[in-house]
Amino acid sequence: MQITGMLHGSKLLEFVGFPSAEVLGPDASEEAIKAMIERHGSVFVKPVFKGGVGKKGKAGLLGRAKDLKTALAEKERLYFVEHHHGNQSAKANGVTFEGAVPAEHEIYFSLSVSTEFRAPTLTITHCGGVDIEELDPTLIARVPFDALTGMKAFVVANALADIGAPSEIISPLVQQLPKLWELYHNFGMTVLELNPIRMRPDRRGRLTPVACDFKCGFDRDDSRWHRLNLPPHLFAADYSDFEQEINQLRTHQGQSDVYVINDKGTILAPTFGGGANSLVTEMLGDDAIISSDFGGNPPYEKMKSVASICFRHWLAQSNVLFIIGGKSNNTDIFETFRAMADALREHISEHGPTPLFVVIGRGGPNLVRGMAAFRDTCEALGLPYRFFGYDTAMSEVVDYAREVNEWMKAGGRQEIAAKLGVGTQSEAA
Amino acid sequence: MHQQGVGDFQYYVGISSLSQIATAQDKVCVLNILGGESSEVTPVGHAWSGGNVVFGTSPGRRGQTLDTPCGPIPVFNSVREGLEAGHRFNCGVVYLPPTAARDGVAELIRVNPELKKIFIITEKIAVHDAREIRAMGQQAGIDIFGANCLGVADAWNQVRIGGALGGDSPGDTLKRGSIAILSNSGGFTTTIAQYLRMAGWGTTTLVSSGKDIYIHYAAPEFAFALANDARSKAAVLYCEPGGYYERDADFTKPVVACVVGRWKAKLTRAVGHAGAMAGGHDDALSKERWFMEKFDVDALYTPENPVFSAKGAVVTNIAHIPAALTAVMRANATLPDFAPEGTMELKPWFGANQGIKLPTALDLPVVEAVAPHNLHIAELARSVGTVFARQNMKDASGASQMDPRTQLSSLHGVSMLDAAQKPLEANLALALLHEAGGPNDHALINLSVMALTGLHGTAMLAAAQAAREAGNAPNSVLAAAVSIVGPRTAEPAQRAAALLIDLFSTAGLEDACDQDADCSGITLTPAARTLLFATEPDPLAGAMIDAAHTRGIRSVPLTWLIAQAGHPSADAVLAALTTTLGWGPLRRKRVSRLSVEALPWWMRLVGTQLGASVDATQHTADSFCGIAHAELLGARSITDVAALALTGRQLGSKDLFAFQTLTGLLLTNGPGAISAQGAKGAVSADGPETPSRVQLNKAVVGFLTHTGFAHGGNGFEGVAFLLERFAGQDLTDPGNPDHGLDLPAMINTFINDYAAERSAGKETGAGSRNLPCINHPVFKGKPVNVDPREKFVRELFAARGEYNIFHDYYRQLVQALFDRGVTRNVFCVNVDALIATLLLKMMWQPLQAGRLSTAQMETAAFTAFLYGRMIGCAGEIDDHLNRGRNMDTRTPQSQVRFVA
Repeated sequence: MQITGMLHGSKLLEFVGFPSAEVLGPDASEEAIKAMIERHGSVFVKPVFKGGVGKKGKAGLLGRAKDLKTALAEKERLYFVEHHHGNQSAKANGVTFEGAVPAEHEIYFSLSVSTEFRAPTLTITHCGGVDIEELDPTLIARVPFDALTGMKAFVVANALADIGAPSEIISPLVQQLPKLWELYHNFGMTVLELNPIRMRPDRRGRLTPVACDFKCGFDRDDSRWHRLNLPPHLFAADYSDFEQEINQLRTHQGQSDVYVINDKGTILAPTFGGGANSLVTEMLGDDAIISSDFGGNPPYEKMKSVASICFRHWLAQSNVLFIIGGKSNNTDIFETFRAMADALREHISEHGPTPLFVVIGRGGPNLVRGMAAFRDTCEALGLPYRFFGYDTAMSEVVDYAREVNEWMKAGGRQEIAAKLGVGTQSEAA
Repeated sequence: MHQQGVGDFQYYVGISSLSQIATAQDKVCVLNILGGESSEVTPVGHAWSGGNVVFGTSPGRRGQTLDTPCGPIPVFNSVREGLEAGHRFNCGVVYLPPTAARDGVAELIRVNPELKKIFIITEKIAVHDAREIRAMGQQAGIDIFGANCLGVADAWNQVRIGGALGGDSPGDTLKRGSIAILSNSGGFTTTIAQYLRMAGWGTTTLVSSGKDIYIHYAAPEFAFALANDARSKAAVLYCEPGGYYERDADFTKPVVACVVGRWKAKLTRAVGHAGAMAGGHDDALSKERWFMEKFDVDALYTPENPVFSAKGAVVTNIAHIPAALTAVMRANATLPDFAPEGTMELKPWFGANQGIKLPTALDLPVVEAVAPHNLHIAELARSVGTVFARQNMKDASGASQMDPRTQLSSLHGVSMLDAAQKPLEANLALALLHEAGGPNDHALINLSVMALTGLHGTAMLAAAQAAREAGNAPNSVLAAAVSIVGPRTAEPAQRAAALLIDLFSTAGLEDACDQDADCSGITLTPAARTLLFATEPDPLAGAMIDAAHTRGIRSVPLTWLIAQAGHPSADAVLAALTTTLGWGPLRRKRVSRLSVEALPWWMRLVGTQLGASVDATQHTADSFCGIAHAELLGARSITDVAALALTGRQLGSKDLFAFQTLTGLLLTNGPGAISAQGAKGAVSADGPETPSRVQLNKAVVGFLTHTGFAHGGNGFEGVAFLLERFAGQDLTDPGNPDHGLDLPAMINTFINDYAAERSAGKETGAGSRNLPCINHPVFKGKPVNVDPREKFVRELFAARGEYNIFHDYYRQLVQALFDRGVTRNVFCVNVDALIATLLLKMMWQPLQAGRLSTAQMETAAFTAFLYGRMIGCAGEIDDHLNRGRNMDTRTPQSQVRFVA
């Protein structure tokens, strides 16, 4: 849920009247690019990535051109460029041309949540345009402020004074930066970072801050960003088809968080509770297909829909259906297990039997009834199973599931398939 | 801007000791108390805490209450109204939806000056709202817990506030001891307490902190309150990546920290707990390091490498917490609070290999579950049958469906084309038990129904006869009889069936037909005896037992019943038969216990409908339609008795097959059929959520009243059409292909007349009549159209070498209509034609002989439909009884309309 770059960033900044560098999109005509170079002396050519991708400058993904020929050459180089940063990799689809803003001062500005202060926090330095981690901490102001009053002019003024910012930049920043709080606060952002903001002088030498790069993150649980009418494809890269299907069921009634860990994995583990999700995903490693949290007492229908989607996407390749959670507090085990068992039964009715071993570890209200419902389904479908109560350590159950998976890979899957009279999918095992 | 609280914090903290978090003096107001989660969780916590909730709010629901084991909790529209009513509280619990949580916090703070603590259970609160919540709490000097948490609990004070720590039986997990818990995971708060208890450690205060980005009550203030809590000797922290809370906590007592989530460093966005994601220096590894520095240890604690100090230990698996804690506490010269209560090794409660040889390590034997679950499992072993999920069953069915493409209906997965090849008793088994059953099952059904078909001297027969004489159609006649077969008539047999199910499931009976089954362990209480035995010999019971022998029926319950001393009642014999019938599907979890207990009533209802469908004169004290009762019970099937009742004569095997084909095709047309709608509506109106109140006989009346001359009687239009066409023809045997009639000529004549009628109709604008039994809204538009059901039956009979001149006539008619240019393409012969042609073939001879009037023929056509649909609707009623909700067939107001 992130937006980076000026192509969309400049439009967001327009909402609150914050000046930004002139920007042209991938479909800009040669005449327009040429005119931009003439106006600004030079242009920056930047690849367009969906979502958040960091450290583009360092990776050589920033082109600068003072003539049309160079600009077009940089466009060709960067249009489909691939970028790897940490575990993330992304492929560009398009470039932007951004008018250079000559300036003496470059400002780093961000608004974010600080868990140290437990308050919204302004981070600012007049030595921006570089990685903020590389700066001397005394040059950076990190100032928490009251959420109810917001980031007012005095917050900015005090912050700049604290770090000894040059006096000529203080007044324009104090005038302009509070607008960004409106953007941040009213449109559901969790982070907003402008780096750099260049201080462009006018004819009389008065400085105006101009945003030259943009990054923001939105809060998935905050509907305020819907007001921006952003095109949905901006966030599409964040989610697989499976995740999007599950997300459509996302309501405040029960969790439904999923993340595809390994689309070649062989353990399908619907997990209940954030803690269990954390523990189980860690222990399963690459055997896990998905990481999930379906806790929060989902009602029958929702649980059944979620399970159906999981089965449709992943059951064919799964060796182990591993339903795991701690001793639930209020999640009704009977309702959730019955829903999953019914979904399993329906899936197999529709798609035919699949070799599968069912392992369950769970505790909570109506536990035995829930397990009995699942047992009946496994019996009806001829699937081998072991169910553990909360008097077995969850990690022991995870290890058991992993051992079952290894056995399935080493021939167990074929054995069950033969018993069920079906073939095995080649992608599993 | 914050108030000055305790300690040296840069923000407000009001709680100085963990013992103050959940106390016996705390009084609680719950916002959205009647919401789905709260209404389940609040009563448990309220009762366990000795009644700490003073009131709840739910706008617009003032005057309602939330019932709890220790009395109802009053509900008000708002906090202000509750205060005005004289209630006082210092704790607010927020169960509101995410978009309303912030406003709820504002209400609590602004309206109640005595407020001290807020517990926010709501998850998925926007960060925007969370920061405003934080700011409001800080300004007003309120401690906030959560959000996205499961509240707090105190094992010493036996108080739980907000949320559900300890689940539905907090005492099972929360045992008084010396360890405090702070956990990012609500589920793990309880799970860790459970693990500790197994290792001999009890708890003091448990705080589920939640794992939103804003954690309002977090590690630093927990550490401060831990230091000041004399009861707590140590603490367990469960942490996940995200946030610097733990780094800033200053612990003065031993702590075991469990940090889980190294894998989250790979993620590009948050999963599960909102605050836990990549980026920053607050990932799992960082957190492990913070704690290791605090505890002066250089590695994680694992069973293989147990690294710890007197200050604490760091684990990455919650299963290692108890051992690490015991080690750390031993270094502090402190023993567990009590003897360990168990181990955490693998203990499967349920398991099966399904005939597959597993490696020894995986082939774990099932062990007895921990109490009280061992009792639940034992109880489960005694319970039989499945339970269906209740849902809105309007226009929905778990029994029947129609494929809109092929127009083929099916009942419990069996297509009508297959059902048409089965006798009525098999289809009745299919409808009620979801399986067509075998010969023994059919014998059980036939005997049960036949025993209840003779209605001589009963009110049912009198009512049916009165209805018939008043000129009613056969559906109304049957409805009059069925109305009398009320719950009380079926109750003794149903109670006997319930008893037999209990007795034989406790005895572990696998196969109710296995005459060698050991029933020696079954004993009867005196009260149970009265359900099965009469004081005097019951003649019907005797006749039924004799008939069972004659039929060679295998039934463990019946054999057992006969072997007991005393005179079994007819109801008990019936119950023994139906319990035998239902036992297999019950054991295989195909049907519910409810369905099997209802079987005696169904047998009575089917018997009554068969009996009432003939004139009262056909019933005598010892015979039905001229068949002696002994023969009826001992030899006859529903199929041949129904055929006899319908046609008034014994049918040969060919006609009998035609009859069962006819009724089989008519079983169902899916839940949208009017007859099914009537049946379902009747169940829905009685309220299937209390199944004992549903009057099955009234549901059958619902089906019967939702049939009629248009729905059920339309087969007769085809009969009437054929009668006109074949009037005056010399036809003796419609089954003889060498009938000697010139069908093409007959058809030509008809088409000439019809064409003339059509052109005259066009002239006058009166239109022309539609020809019955040809064309179909789905099977049309092709050069040659075929209704697949007609094709199936045609081929079925062709394969049997059976001919039907009326069917042949229709086939030739549609071709000739096209050849003569009357129709644009070759119309199909539709399913209604099957009814007409099969029926007419069966009835042709009595009709020709004058033994049957045209009116009787019409009644027979209608009754044939009723016989088929009676079975299908029994399945529909049983399905709605098992799955439906009260009044679920009601149409929402938004979908109904007024027509001026």
